[in-house]
Amino acid sequence: MNAARLIFDLAGAIAVVFAGVMVVHRNPIKSLLAIVVTFFALAVGFVLLSAPFLAAIQVIVYAGAILVLFLFVTMLLNLQTEEETADRRPFQRFFALVGIVAFAGMLLAAVRRSGEAAGSSGLPPATGAIEPLAQALFSRAALPFEAVSVLLLASLTGAYILMRRERSGSAAP
Amino acid sequence: MSVPLTDVLVVSVALFSLGLCGALLRRNAITIFLSIELMLNAANLAIVGFGERVGGYAGQTVVFFAIVVAAAEAAVGLAIFVAVFRHHETIDVNKTNLLKW
Repeated sequence: MNAARLIFDLAGAIAVVFAGVMVVHRNPIKSLLAIVVTFFALAVGFVLLSAPFLAAIQVIVYAGAILVLFLFVTMLLNLQTEEETADRRPFQRFFALVGIVAFAGMLLAAVRRSGEAAGSSGLPPATGAIEPLAQALFSRAALPFEAVSVLLLASLTGAYILMRRERSGSAAP
Repeated sequence: MSVPLTDVLVVSVALFSLGLCGALLRRNAITIFLSIELMLNAANLAIVGFGERVGGYAGQTVVFFAIVVAAAEAAVGLAIFVAVFRHHETIDVNKTNLLKW
């Protein structure tokens, strides 16, 4: 058992435990704080999978920007702890749970059978260096890179239009 | 000195299943959205794991774009929640059935 595997398993266990806390907690703020821990643990996993740039992005963009946006909106809406509402279709939850367990079991069986079967493409393995990643992003993936900037602009505009208070007399939502 | 692919995939499956649980069983829209982010992250972890095994940088490139798209999605989704909250005073998905008739 090597050190990298030990640390990865530890980080993975922390990620799974806090994901569980996120799912079961009734207070949305505490769910958010739990998922921050999960994302940090995943960043540790990315480092061990020789993707330190993605680990940095995970911490800065995910745990930093996106979850702060979530926290901001959650506090803005002043959400109380989720109250128990009477379910009109209680059997839905039961079937959902059965489906999830079957799904997870199926995936785990597939992983156990083929986890080590993935072959190498012959390309040199990724090192921790950022430069080859930048080469890939700005040469082969240059078109998606530019398209993504348009997507960001579109989502910025969309968010602005959705959040805008409509003036009296103008069309509704 | 490397992480076995099986470990990566097991963690990924566990996180994805938990995210699916949250998305299907919870009634608070914010928690559902967080669960969807969790599923995205589980998929990212699997892609990075496979990418490391295959070699090259294709996997990391894909995950880079996935993170950018997740950021755009979060901005628009949260804006929708705020708009829904203004109309309904709640974002409990049992009480908001705007698209259902």
